[in-house]
Amino acid sequence: MLLPLIAGAQELKVATHTLKNGMKVLVHEDHDVPNVALYFFYRIGSRNERPGTTGISHYFEHMMFNGAKKYGPKQFDIQMEKNGGSNNAYTSRDVTVYTDWFPKEALELMFDMESDRIRDLAFDPKIVESERGVVYSERRTSVDNSPFGVLYEQLNAAAYIAHPYHWPVVGWASDIESWTMDDLKAHFKMGYAPNNCVMVVSGDVTEAQALALARKYIEPIASQPPPPEVRTKEPEQLGERRVTVKRPAQLPIVMVSYHVPRTKDPETPVLDVLETILGTGRSSRLYTRMVDKDQLVLNVNAGSSPSLDPGQFQFSFQVRGGKRPEDAEKALYEELARLAKDGVTAEELNKARNQILGNFYRGLKTIAGKANLLGTYEVFFGGWEKVNQVAAELEKVTPADVQKAAAKYFKETGRTVATLIPETAQEASK
Amino acid sequence: MRTRTLVLGLLMMCPVFGQAKLPPYTKQTLPNGATLILLRKPDVPLISVRALFRGGSEAEPEGQAGIAGLTAELIRRGTAQRTAEQISLEMDSLGATVGGGSDRQASYLYTEFMARTQEPALKVFADLMLNASFPEAEVKKTLAQAVDAAKSAKDNPAMAIGRYFNAFYFGAAHPYGRVADEGTLGRLNRDQIVGFHKKMYVGKNLILIAAGDFDPAKLGPQLAALAGQLPAGGAFQPGQVAAPKFESARLLLVDKPDATQTYFRIGMPGITRTNPDRVALMIVNTLFGGRFTSMLNDELRVNAGLTYGANCMLEQDRLAGAIAINTYTRTDTTEKAMDMALAILKRLREKGLDAEQLASAKAYIKGGFPTQRLETADQLAGLIGDLEIFDLTKAEVDDLFAKIDSITVAQANAVARKYYTEEKLQFCLVGNAGKIQDVVKKYAAKMKVHPVKAAGFAAPAF
Repeated sequence: MLLPLIAGAQELKVATHTLKNGMKVLVHEDHDVPNVALYFFYRIGSRNERPGTTGISHYFEHMMFNGAKKYGPKQFDIQMEKNGGSNNAYTSRDVTVYTDWFPKEALELMFDMESDRIRDLAFDPKIVESERGVVYSERRTSVDNSPFGVLYEQLNAAAYIAHPYHWPVVGWASDIESWTMDDLKAHFKMGYAPNNCVMVVSGDVTEAQALALARKYIEPIASQPPPPEVRTKEPEQLGERRVTVKRPAQLPIVMVSYHVPRTKDPETPVLDVLETILGTGRSSRLYTRMVDKDQLVLNVNAGSSPSLDPGQFQFSFQVRGGKRPEDAEKALYEELARLAKDGVTAEELNKARNQILGNFYRGLKTIAGKANLLGTYEVFFGGWEKVNQVAAELEKVTPADVQKAAAKYFKETGRTVATLIPETAQEASK
Repeated sequence: MRTRTLVLGLLMMCPVFGQAKLPPYTKQTLPNGATLILLRKPDVPLISVRALFRGGSEAEPEGQAGIAGLTAELIRRGTAQRTAEQISLEMDSLGATVGGGSDRQASYLYTEFMARTQEPALKVFADLMLNASFPEAEVKKTLAQAVDAAKSAKDNPAMAIGRYFNAFYFGAAHPYGRVADEGTLGRLNRDQIVGFHKKMYVGKNLILIAAGDFDPAKLGPQLAALAGQLPAGGAFQPGQVAAPKFESARLLLVDKPDATQTYFRIGMPGITRTNPDRVALMIVNTLFGGRFTSMLNDELRVNAGLTYGANCMLEQDRLAGAIAINTYTRTDTTEKAMDMALAILKRLREKGLDAEQLASAKAYIKGGFPTQRLETADQLAGLIGDLEIFDLTKAEVDDLFAKIDSITVAQANAVARKYYTEEKLQFCLVGNAGKIQDVVKKYAAKMKVHPVKAAGFAAPAF
């Protein structure tokens, strides 16, 4: 069934303002619940690191909670929770994002605490050491003790040989052990300039309130030079690369990666459609073929994540007991080739549009979801306004675009494949 | 992406300043015993519909662990009118989600769709509700997938420890201790699934909840007609099951030779969902292990850097559950981390909580409540469903803040001493036994080492 796309039905209203120090502020009013989501997107991530200090952006994300001048060690969390708020933060290859959720009564406190840590972060040597242990524990859990984590790290290290996307966001173990105080201070100075940040306020506030507080607390913080440009461009890949990981596991895992443009590229909506047709929902081509019909894999994921520099379109699947990874891989390539050769139908394209739009609405259900969406569009897509063009952009995508993109990007020469081969217990104990 | 904070405990039935009220909704009982609830919330053009059937894993017959979840999954894999592929294709084409699952109290089917696709989406959902046919080929396929998924859970120690802990803590005689594994799942068959469906998916067990952007005058009669077509059946009568009793401390060490860190849970008897101490306990547990600045996380993570996160789970189900300290640390700091966790437990009992801590926990719980439970249509549907399943009234939500405010320091400390015990603790560890078994034996008179490669999650006899 074809459904009309209603562009603009869910237009998000946003007030924008740039502070004198260069920080851009986005305010979205939503008075449904008496709470506020306050997000800070710093344009600094593992792509701004170098060998020897990999993982320091993520480590720094942790350090931002460990005390500043006015609010000392632990105070950020203590004050926040005592006032009914909670927080988190995340680091990716491109950005470090701080996320605060709190009752509207705590709005001024949050501005005060956020400005304190951007302006006057403390570097206590004892805390630096203890937080190193925390980050190492995080690495052990998410990478070293996870077959997916180990393999994913190896995949990216092989897919990129020159560009900083080569190393993991959490950092190599030896770098986690060796960061110095000087590394930390240099990183803070490089990344945490107000002009290197976008602030998003979403929830039960008025534009005037948010701007007054931003002017009072954030605007006086001086701007600084932004992080140096990432110069290295990934050279063209000239042939397939293969990596194998052997470790104890119940089932083999395969990950396959192809190079695609950065998120800002006009082809992104086409790639979104491609991702949806291949991997979203149980009617997707890969689920239908690999999980359901051939029963080769337990699950299959497809897609890319937002990136400032050219990224990767990746597939991953866990191979069923008694099945061979190479057969699962072959099924994937056959599906990709079929897409490039025969293209997609109008119905399939329309299905993908509705799936994307449905998921987009799901992202608008909460003030936190909206804050994240606005910040992500501002930083990665070239402007928050694009949020209101999702339906229109989707409508422009044609079956020919999708077919062309599949042929262009899913090339064997640009492919990287990582396979996890389960080791038997005997081999493991050697 | 890397995130900073730990995932908080199960409970987080947490809560605003002033008060929190459930928005108005209608509730009616249909002639076949089904309950229909409608809540209009038009801020986003989506509609969420969920059908809860009382029972869940608690209703699983002996020897059929996992049948509740599998039955719910299989409903979307074929009806008299549609194949599994057609169901997926129709719902994906509408941009709708659809699925099923089960917890300890209920099996559920859900769908969420865009308001303008109400009619076609409901048509498919109604077909699932009324005409599930459990095609033999789909049953076989689903069972084989479930067996592989159960095996691969062992590759993820953070997931595996939850299953080992439940089997160990509750034991095979208790419904919460019967954990589905490759063995139990492999033995299930279509007849059992069809039988479970016929018995459980009936009017008297059904709570059908719609929340979102719709016109109740139009959707209400449609859903009433749908729910009314189910046979009334027999209402699920939960049995009385005694809570596990422990004669001594026990320690189960699941040996995973390749582990570079030890995952551990320290369990003790907890409460039911309707226990009168629940609000006080929720406050105490928030302070002990339910938020970032909790005693456990502050000591183990923030002060000592031993772990990425430490928390304490407070289960609240129909039958009394466990209270369990939950964390992980690198292999060579296992003893240090466990000693520290036990010292914090002792501190809670002996030193108790003060007025400032209590005030902070109250504000924290109330401050998060609107965005955690009241913000979206599906959150509200979940919350109302929870009230129905446990036969609680709206007052559970509407009076929550007043109840929180009324808890005194003395009450909180009495509850802390009553539940957070140091005796007969139940330790479950997943780690490298060769390196830690000598140091951890001091924690319990009875200890068993159990290889991770042994089939399933069931604990050896103690």
